[in-house]
Amino acid sequence: MKQIETELLVIGGGSTGAGVAWDAALRGFRTILVERRDLTHGTTGRYHGLLHSGGRYVVKDPRSAVECIEENRVLRYTHAHCIEDTGGFFVVTPEDEGDYPDKFKAACAQTGVPCQELPLKEAFRREPLLNRRISRVFEVPDGAADSFLATHATAQAAQLAGATILIYHEVVGLLVEGGDGDRRVVGAQVTDKVTGEDFIIRAAMVINASGAWAGKIAQLAGIEVKVIPGKGVMVAMNHRVVNTVVNRCKMPADGDIIVPAHTVAVIGTTDEKVADPEPLRIHPWEVQLMLDEGDKLVPGISKARVLRAWAGVRPLYQEGFTGQSRDATRALTLLDHQARDGVRGFLTITGGKWTTFRLMAETTMDMACKQLGTERPCLTAKTQAPGVEQGHYWLGHRLHAVEEHHLQSDLICECELVTRAMLQQAVLKNPTVTLDDLRRDTRLGMGPCQGGFCTYRAVGVIHQMQHETQGAANQAMPTTIQPTNADTGPQIWDVAHLQSPAHNVDAPHRVKMTAGASLADANLLLHDFLQERWRGVTPILWGQQLKQERLDELIYLSVMNADHLPRSESQSPLTDFWQFDTTPGAGE
Amino acid sequence: MLDLLVIGAGLTGLTAALRAAESGLKVKVIAKGLGSLHWSAATVDVMGYPAPSPVAAKNPWEGWQSLPAAHPYHRLGAKRIKADLDAFQAWTVALGLPYAANADPDRNTLLPSPVGAFRPVYLAPKAQFAGDVASRQPMLIAGFDGVRDFYPQLLADNLAAQGQPARSVLLPQITLTDRHDANTVHLAEALDDPARQTALGVALKSAVQPGERIGLPAILGLRAHTQVMEALTRITGATIFEIPTLTPSVPGVRLTAALRTRLDQVGVRVEAGMEAIGFNATGDAIEWVETSTSSRPIRHRARNFLLATGGVLGGGFSSDHTGRFWEVVFQLPLTTPQDRGQWFRPQFFDPAGQPVFSTGVAVNERWQPVDADGKIVYRNLWAAGGLLAGADPIQERSLEGLAISTAMAAVESLTTR
Repeated sequence: MKQIETELLVIGGGSTGAGVAWDAALRGFRTILVERRDLTHGTTGRYHGLLHSGGRYVVKDPRSAVECIEENRVLRYTHAHCIEDTGGFFVVTPEDEGDYPDKFKAACAQTGVPCQELPLKEAFRREPLLNRRISRVFEVPDGAADSFLATHATAQAAQLAGATILIYHEVVGLLVEGGDGDRRVVGAQVTDKVTGEDFIIRAAMVINASGAWAGKIAQLAGIEVKVIPGKGVMVAMNHRVVNTVVNRCKMPADGDIIVPAHTVAVIGTTDEKVADPEPLRIHPWEVQLMLDEGDKLVPGISKARVLRAWAGVRPLYQEGFTGQSRDATRALTLLDHQARDGVRGFLTITGGKWTTFRLMAETTMDMACKQLGTERPCLTAKTQAPGVEQGHYWLGHRLHAVEEHHLQSDLICECELVTRAMLQQAVLKNPTVTLDDLRRDTRLGMGPCQGGFCTYRAVGVIHQMQHETQGAANQAMPTTIQPTNADTGPQIWDVAHLQSPAHNVDAPHRVKMTAGASLADANLLLHDFLQERWRGVTPILWGQQLKQERLDELIYLSVMNADHLPRSESQSPLTDFWQFDTTPGAGE
Repeated sequence: MLDLLVIGAGLTGLTAALRAAESGLKVKVIAKGLGSLHWSAATVDVMGYPAPSPVAAKNPWEGWQSLPAAHPYHRLGAKRIKADLDAFQAWTVALGLPYAANADPDRNTLLPSPVGAFRPVYLAPKAQFAGDVASRQPMLIAGFDGVRDFYPQLLADNLAAQGQPARSVLLPQITLTDRHDANTVHLAEALDDPARQTALGVALKSAVQPGERIGLPAILGLRAHTQVMEALTRITGATIFEIPTLTPSVPGVRLTAALRTRLDQVGVRVEAGMEAIGFNATGDAIEWVETSTSSRPIRHRARNFLLATGGVLGGGFSSDHTGRFWEVVFQLPLTTPQDRGQWFRPQFFDPAGQPVFSTGVAVNERWQPVDADGKIVYRNLWAAGGLLAGADPIQERSLEGLAISTAMAAVESLTTR
């Protein structure tokens, strides 16, 4: 079996793993990150997108609140373009009376979370749809974060500093050497999910940053880590009903927040302790609860059009904790397996929030340095991620660019204003295996039609690229193009401007693939993406969205007859995902 | 006083109105929008995949035993549907938008879809019909750079993978238009211009090889497509055919326009922008339907009413998060379970379809809506098309066949009672 040497192996391509790889590479470590699917496929890509001010935790979990506000300030510098500066409200609805609001105000002061009580008139001026029975409003520096972009930008930053990022590489075993009392993790066996090839990565230190899956990874070294998987269900509304993050001013509970995210608003979230981080089934009562609670903040929101529902799993951890996941700490946890389990060369970083991913990475790498007997300072807080010169995200940026550069005819996804060139560049500039990867890169298919129009177009564009690459006329269905893997050197990874139509104008129509691309054949891409979109809409199909879905059926069944295309024998990692994790609407 | 008020301007409503007018009735059509023909490929599909069969039906009149007992086709029978579709085909010829059928009336014809699958259709616009894959005559699929609703390479490769020889060519979009926001309808409109036709013909001429027929996106003219096709044939010397595109659908726009022109000629008004918002019934007879417009509510009185608002897609049904599912004009009883948990299956491409879409309005043998006990709801109300229970016309590929045959049957029932 092929073997690769490195200093640090990071397991997990969520925000934390990417952050650790970035931090490690900046400190000069030779670093490889492996992720079994795409970056952010796990919890990072499945949260509501809140950049915490810390306000949410000031009363219940002050340590977490302090971490949040400090990191909130840092990320506004390092990842400005991944953040929309929406500000946040904590509002007191008639159901939230009692002494919590005063406690909240005091706790904000104690934890250093800036908090200002607003006159109601001003709050209603800024958010006219808010419940008029709200009695008090506090403003805090919450924001809306694009965790897809942020994690990709972090990965690119890591790569620029020398790290290797391997997506669709799954850890199937940890290499443990030594006997009782002197065990040491020295690397991992990894499967390339695209080629099916196995190889060994040997490392001086292995960092387990696999979030809700951390227990499963630790188990490969015979170590017990009891992650408390707290499932959260979120519902995306078709309209951006608020421009400010709106939180209920009470102890954190189900459905108490609405986050404006790009063109939509997300209601979150439940917190239910589950046995496993997958599959992530969504039950009707969970959707109902989000809508009912949403009504308390924005009356009538339950009657508005819903786009999609999804679930993420918090990687909560509290040593010895046996209670409900809602009550488990949100603070980060670093497990030093040398001290805890007598296993050297292995750290697990879990808990925390998206907002604290950089701090989690710093904490982890401080410990790693100590164990490796070297002193190297953390540089991430002072280093900006690629693309940061674009400034904070603002809602109109894509529309502005499309109109300015007359890109209307080029729109592949009209809902999210994704142009053909953006899509092509996303294929070229970071490893791409499925259309869902391109969704995370560009927001393809995330709008009202949920892939109805753009799936066909994206597949057509990609197929044309595959064809140009092969350079042959009238060939049969293309074969999978060989992906880049660890021993063929660094992959192209240039994601800083993938979200910007203005950076992708005057692009040629005919573009070739690069060696890094490993997209499957067109028919499989189409089938998988439609199925993945279907999975997320079935829990919320009624009213206008049901009508939309019927139009999508008209397009793909009646007009395209796409369900009777020659089927590929092959499967993609996306097939693998939806096959065991499909929500038919009614739960188990 | 109107003899018949048709509610809905899709293929069902327009067919019913025309048939009724030809029978001497005084008819009017009201509709919320333009009808869903603008979204479809505008072929007439009778039965492509009798659910749950994943195999294309060679003979559209067979395999019906697997369809639900309540399927409208069981009541109509093949012979009657054939006669109705013959009548429809005769209309299209008279309207200057001729539809063609397989020489064998018991065979579906397989035509290329925009993604290169074979669509089993019964009738198709002549413009599409020459794409019949039965002959296996090689195809040159021509598309345009920057036309985002048609991908010739994907199409050609999929056709070739299924044994239909095909290759593709991409022409510069500048051949068609210099608009920055062109969709298929804009492109078709541009090709009504003879100069553009010549430019396109010359470009095709240099690409086509002897023995090939040329498949183009269905954008060959909005108002003058027969002339466009003749011009291209003249220049290239090759057979030209259209392949449907992603919606909006030019063939659907053409068919709507042709039917509405004909309705105009026979004195039937089609009033769009008229959403039915209420009605009044005396006893078991409907007196009027009220519509909203920008100025004022209007009451439309008629002796008879035909509901052709379509299913979920046409807007005939609505639903909410509690699982309530209702018919929007008359609140008719439906066969739909009021529980969202029973509406869907896990796979988007399940050959059995999504259960919710084969539910709807139950009718008796006279095409009159009935309740769960089989009792007529209103004695002067008829229903036809996509809102009928028992069929999933999109899954089955029976959308237009069902629309036309049930529309004609309902009109016949109300004129012969």
